[in-house]
Amino acid sequence: MTVIKALIKRNMKLFFRDKGMFFTALITPAILLVLYISFLGNVYRDSFVTNLPEGFQLPEKLLNSLVGGQLISSILAVSCVTISFCSNFLMVQDKATGSIRDLTIAPVKGSALAISYYIASLLSTLLICLAAMVLCFGYLAVIGWYLSFTDVLCLLMDVILLTLFGTALSSIINHFLSTQGQISAVGSIVSSGYGFICGAYMPISSFGEGLQKVISFLPGTYGTSLVRNHSMQGALQEMSNYGMPQTAIQEFRDAMDCNLYFFSRPVSIPVMYLILGGTVALLLTIYILICKRKKRA
Amino acid sequence: MNNIIEIQGLCKRFGDIQAVQDLNLKVREGELFAFLGINGAGKSTTINIMCGQLGKDQGSVTIDGADLDHNPDHIKRSLGVVFQSSVLDSALTVQDNLESRAALYGIAGQNFKSRLSALARLLDFEDLLKRPVGKLSGGQRRRIDIARALLHQPRILILDEPTTGLDPQTRKLLWNVITDLRKKEQMTVFLTTHYMEEAAEADYVVILDSGKIAAQGTPLELKNTYSGDYITLYGVEEQAVKAMNVEYEAIRDAFRLSVPDTAAATQLILKHPGIFRDYEITKGKMDDVFLQATGKKLEGGAEK
Repeated sequence: MTVIKALIKRNMKLFFRDKGMFFTALITPAILLVLYISFLGNVYRDSFVTNLPEGFQLPEKLLNSLVGGQLISSILAVSCVTISFCSNFLMVQDKATGSIRDLTIAPVKGSALAISYYIASLLSTLLICLAAMVLCFGYLAVIGWYLSFTDVLCLLMDVILLTLFGTALSSIINHFLSTQGQISAVGSIVSSGYGFICGAYMPISSFGEGLQKVISFLPGTYGTSLVRNHSMQGALQEMSNYGMPQTAIQEFRDAMDCNLYFFSRPVSIPVMYLILGGTVALLLTIYILICKRKKRA
Repeated sequence: MNNIIEIQGLCKRFGDIQAVQDLNLKVREGELFAFLGINGAGKSTTINIMCGQLGKDQGSVTIDGADLDHNPDHIKRSLGVVFQSSVLDSALTVQDNLESRAALYGIAGQNFKSRLSALARLLDFEDLLKRPVGKLSGGQRRRIDIARALLHQPRILILDEPTTGLDPQTRKLLWNVITDLRKKEQMTVFLTTHYMEEAAEADYVVILDSGKIAAQGTPLELKNTYSGDYITLYGVEEQAVKAMNVEYEAIRDAFRLSVPDTAAATQLILKHPGIFRDYEITKGKMDDVFLQATGKKLEGGAEK
């Protein structure tokens, strides 16, 4: 236990002290923020307003909360995965710099190393994402707060679950990498690509039908939907209180990916949790098996 | 003296390349053992197998009484390794680095603190503890590498080209520390180096070529077997040297005569007492031994 604790401490210190690695992890959320500030926020706001039933108006605060909920759900959903990839790149960097040799010449089990990378990456990502979540809540409180205590708790659970998912996925992928070049390549692909395929940059409902079907096989999509559901739930409820027709609200939920469909069949929130939780369990099992199968050359 | 390392019939192949071929060697406790060879000779492969970093195809490795196949953890506790290039974490401070590595051997808390201060005194890095390793000079970093290798008080210190790229002063400091450790703690030192003067100080030398032992023995045995003696002769005319009919070369203010051994040198001097008024006899160098044994020159690890 002392060994694992020491390794986790070392890994986390390295991640937070390596400015390159730390700031790279923040690139995707930063891009999202810039996109929303520069034009996406306005695009969504206009879209919300034009899609309201004729003659129906919503207060500014509620509109702000809807756009804000969309923004924070995208940022949180993407950050949990991209940051976990970046923090978990330490296991690759250790191979690239040769530091791994200094760890494995000691009487340390491979499983202890694997666990320490996983937990360190998980904790580092959670620290950043929870800090980001607090900032997001602060932002919502300023522009329009409609979240209930249950929504906040659910969002916390979503972030933890998505981080577990991102860390497990990155542990498996990073396990097969060994050079700085591979880190850059995978880092770029994940940073730029994950936002699109999880529906953070653009709602999945705006993609073509074929692509939507493909994306419905990716578990991360359901993670984003969970975060979106809980970050917009309060505002959507408030729309209902203002007398917005349920059909219009449902259309709105479809458009924002709060409702997801697997080959036209609606996926409920408990099922989304099951998919994400099951995927985490499956990925962790694969990671453990890979680590066990790894034999000395 | 007991053998602290025994390697028998060690083989390792990478695809078509036989990196180590039927290697047999013994290292006695407390001795300075030098392992010489050009890059690709099989030195690092052998060390990596000894450290448990690499699997072997055949053979047995026994270190400090433990068999590598059955008790690798005991061997890992017996070995301290200074790698060719520093593998510490550049972004972390010296203290953080050593603390994380000490924990791998179960050394923490007060035990770590007392070990750290002992090593800091021994290797003179008390003022570097709070500095990031990445900001240290080559020599300072090497001292920390050695401290890391000594954290758990190993019985064997493996030094993989430890002084490459260091200034003479730091090289001297490191060798003083290593000599001191050997004397005080009976530590066995297993050294690979490209500096022949370092190999010449060893108790026993093994020269590896293409994965096989090309020569082995004490430096004196190797010099006697693989190289002749040299007589440096001062204050004579070239004609006189030529007349002796031995191989020679002119150097700045003298002539250097090559003779098969010290007995031949003595005979030559007795035969020409009038010429040998100011001279010195030296043994061949380890470079000559290496060249004779392998047909290759060892310069910076590359084949010449």
